[in-house]
Amino acid sequence: MHIPGYYEFCNRVKVVSGHKALDKLPEMLKSLKSIKPMIVTDKGVMGAGLIEPVKKSLGTKVKMGAYYDNVPADSDVKTVKEIAKLYRSSKCDSIIAVGGGSVLDTAKGVNILVSENSDNLMDFTGSGALKRPLKPLIAVPTTSGTGSEMTLVAVIADHSRDVKMLFPSLFLLPDMAILDSRMTKTLPPFLTAPTAMDAMTHAFEGYTCMAKNPLSDVTAMLAIQLISQNVLTAISKPGDLKARLALANGSALAGMSFSNSTVGMVHALGHSIGAICHVAHGTCMSILLPYGLEYNLHKTGHLTAELLFPLAGDEVYNRTPLKERPFKTIAYLRDLNKELGKVTDGKHFTCLKEIVDRNGNMMVPKDKLPEIAKLSLNDGAIVYNPEELDYDDIIMVLEHAWEGSPLDLKKIRKGKKRSKI
Amino acid sequence: MNVNKFPEIKPKGKLIKKIYVAVMLWIVGRAIQAAAKVDREVKEEFSALRDDFMVKLWVAPGGPAMIIGKDKKGVVKYLGWNDKGKKVTLDMKIKNIEGAILVFTFQEGTCEAFCNDRFIVSGDLPDALIFVRVLNIIEVYLLPKIITSLAVKRYPKWSQMNPLRKFGGRVLIYIRAFTF
Repeated sequence: MHIPGYYEFCNRVKVVSGHKALDKLPEMLKSLKSIKPMIVTDKGVMGAGLIEPVKKSLGTKVKMGAYYDNVPADSDVKTVKEIAKLYRSSKCDSIIAVGGGSVLDTAKGVNILVSENSDNLMDFTGSGALKRPLKPLIAVPTTSGTGSEMTLVAVIADHSRDVKMLFPSLFLLPDMAILDSRMTKTLPPFLTAPTAMDAMTHAFEGYTCMAKNPLSDVTAMLAIQLISQNVLTAISKPGDLKARLALANGSALAGMSFSNSTVGMVHALGHSIGAICHVAHGTCMSILLPYGLEYNLHKTGHLTAELLFPLAGDEVYNRTPLKERPFKTIAYLRDLNKELGKVTDGKHFTCLKEIVDRNGNMMVPKDKLPEIAKLSLNDGAIVYNPEELDYDDIIMVLEHAWEGSPLDLKKIRKGKKRSKI
Repeated sequence: MNVNKFPEIKPKGKLIKKIYVAVMLWIVGRAIQAAAKVDREVKEEFSALRDDFMVKLWVAPGGPAMIIGKDKKGVVKYLGWNDKGKKVTLDMKIKNIEGAILVFTFQEGTCEAFCNDRFIVSGDLPDALIFVRVLNIIEVYLLPKIITSLAVKRYPKWSQMNPLRKFGGRVLIYIRAFTF
């Protein structure tokens, strides 16, 4: 067990989890002294009818202040500003965010603007920019992946500069999170798979990157176990509410873990692919996770080996020799990606060149890799990666991820070896 | 309660440690100014930063501090420790003197210090990352390999920094840092 000389762990989100957890919403608003909440959501949530249980739980007891249902797939500073304007004009006093990562992060951005009475989100980048508590925020996730309901960070894009910006602050932790199995029941397989792998990546990077600590380790381990044991069931039997709730809890635990231990190169590269090629975040994570583990193997192989236990179960763990465990973990993840590809009729991708949009166009052309690599160098997550990454290293990883071939371990430029395996 | 008016509780003196960190900040600041003229990589890193870039690296609660910025011509300058009248675009605060000692005695690398929650950063995160990369290069120049290896994740290989560049640059940076 790695005990850092110093670390901080904070998670003060009240979590309400259950098959009908949403019914607690009016009570939660009351405890936050909110009488005029604003709902922030997106068209996908509306189309799936997921807003109905929220409205039903609010009933006539709560007067809705405002309603915004047009959050785009990639949170954007313009949208944040627009919603903040609506919040102010409607004189709301809290936010209920219902949706996936984009909606939750947008709501966090809105909360910064309305609480600080500002119009410029850029004034609040950096870890020390926010200095006081924000307005009440309740997160109701409709995907099991982002973990944003438990994190202190918001990722918001600035499309004018093609970058995704990080806003980290303890004040961005939502006040409450509602994990209701009904909210993820209708999530189609091709979305359940990458979002679950996104949560898996949070847990893996939380456990293997440099800011890990004993508390983040425990939550990461449990998250991996819950996700690994339930993701295929949730896809093959979408109505299995137990599996859905387990996935939602796995995602929340992974969020709790990485919010206190941060993430590494998988996220740095994934953010850049998302910003430049507009690929869904979960898809980038599923593809890049095995590469991130491979790249860091000489430093974190012993940690990757430990994760075979929650990932594959005790039987596989016990029959795999110690030295082979890190490789087995990576192979298991690659196999899981292939399996998810099968059960989603090929809609879950295993390499960058496979990713296509709705019209069948390739989304990550090979000539975009240099641009992605340059942008990745300035992603905050890269600091927390165990091994150094420069432009050439990133290009090497991206080329392998594009082709779908494993990394050549001999070609990785290694710093001081730390792994005991 | 207005948090901004809440009195800050100041730790006890630790004068020797403060003096040590102040000297190190002065050396590093002067070395960055020199390296921005001598080293191609440092020059490129700074050229990617905005024209009005100014970073303050300091130790809470009351210093010491180091300010580096670009002048009107885009030349990188060490601007002393006092930020009065200066527009700092990137504020990198080490939470306490003990954290700063760990960083400046190279027991903890800059990245490791980030991971151990030693820093609070206000400003553009990409700018902070560029500055961290510059600090890593400076450490390679200023210190022998045996010490720098403890502070950086990967000491540059021959292919990344040949001995001529490393030792030639080291001499030039030391001369410039301590003379003009």
